[in-house]
Amino acid sequence: MSTAAVDEAFGHPALFYRTREEYTEQTLAFVREGLAAEEPVAVAVPGPNLDLIRTGLGADGEGLLFLDMTEAGRNPGRIIPRVLRGFADAHPTGRVRIIGEPIWAGRSAVEYPACAQHEALINAAFAGRAVTILCPYDEARLDEEVLADARVTHPTVITGGRTEVSAAYDWEAVVARYNEELPAVPHAAVFSFGAGELSAVRAFAAGEAARWGLTGPRLIDAELAVAELTTNSVIHGGGRGTLAIWSEAGQLVCEVRDAGRLTDPLAGRRPPEPGQLGGRGLMLVHYVSDLVRLHTDDHGTTVRFYLGL
Amino acid sequence: METPHAVDGPGGPARPARAALEVGPLPGRPGIRARGEISVVTRPSWEAALTEVARRHGEVSYVELSEAEFLDVGGVTALAVTALRLPAGRIVVEHPPPHVPRVLEMFWPGLRRIEVVPR
Repeated sequence: MSTAAVDEAFGHPALFYRTREEYTEQTLAFVREGLAAEEPVAVAVPGPNLDLIRTGLGADGEGLLFLDMTEAGRNPGRIIPRVLRGFADAHPTGRVRIIGEPIWAGRSAVEYPACAQHEALINAAFAGRAVTILCPYDEARLDEEVLADARVTHPTVITGGRTEVSAAYDWEAVVARYNEELPAVPHAAVFSFGAGELSAVRAFAAGEAARWGLTGPRLIDAELAVAELTTNSVIHGGGRGTLAIWSEAGQLVCEVRDAGRLTDPLAGRRPPEPGQLGGRGLMLVHYVSDLVRLHTDDHGTTVRFYLGL
Repeated sequence: METPHAVDGPGGPARPARAALEVGPLPGRPGIRARGEISVVTRPSWEAALTEVARRHGEVSYVELSEAEFLDVGGVTALAVTALRLPAGRIVVEHPPPHVPRVLEMFWPGLRRIEVVPR
């Protein structure tokens, strides 16, 4: 009985590392342990670290999935559905092993709250599944606050090569803490909509996005994402909402604000069955954008998505 | 399904014409053509038309979308799920807006029951 329980337990250790040597040694040991147990292994880490692991594994790395997390996980909100569940669901029997490094030095202050929430939500997304996800954290270059959060979002921490149980583990606290208010931006172009204006608000968004320089597939993505968020407001957010669009720090930002409350923390991160009718709108927004920030409480919900210009 | 019918947003014909969808049979071929926008407002008539396509489906059905301006993800989902439930054959989606193949690829990669003829 106890063996079965261990086999089904979700493992989510944070790996605190200080040097390239420590990183390589620890990650290679994790991968090799999986290979020895014939577990499928995926590695999704920033490019330079991907090279370290790939080079270190040599021929042993053949057939493993390697993803540059700065691309696949640029928007932390798509890592669970696209990267982690994408791989785990493709290997439904036996344990699956993944190295996922979603937080690197250089993640911006705007990105970080979504990154921390992503790390927290991994625990909800994989509870009771035979999956192990190792999340490396660069102790030498990341802020103290980031490292402290990692102890809250991970049930165990590997530091100095030793695994310890994290006494601070409380992932829901991180989801709540980074549910930060998103105050209205005064210089944004705004458009209020109801069911009768879904078409007009989409056209307005497309016009603004084009004016800021989006073209081709990215412009289509912006239009699609606005259509999904405004539709959500009409269906779930009190029947109407307000779209705001502006540009900051080289990105186009689209925001939809309504009176609804999002109660499911995993909304938009649970891959639907192919024949399922709903549940793809927010996921589409996560898929196409570089970042999604969300705030929800009893007064309403605000979703912002960012597209690089 | 014998004659095209228009559907407006809630509140009836007083709503802006651009929120409308027209769906009707394809002359000479099994299937439908749609003109206008497929959104949550017009989705009921889109889904009804697709149900009819599935009911009459033989080997190949056609969905002609050259005059469709937009389909939201729910509209593309209705199309994909209709195709998934077919016992055999396929649906040829003709000249859809360019985001339709993108959404299909995103959520139903390798779906063989739909063939897209691009615009």
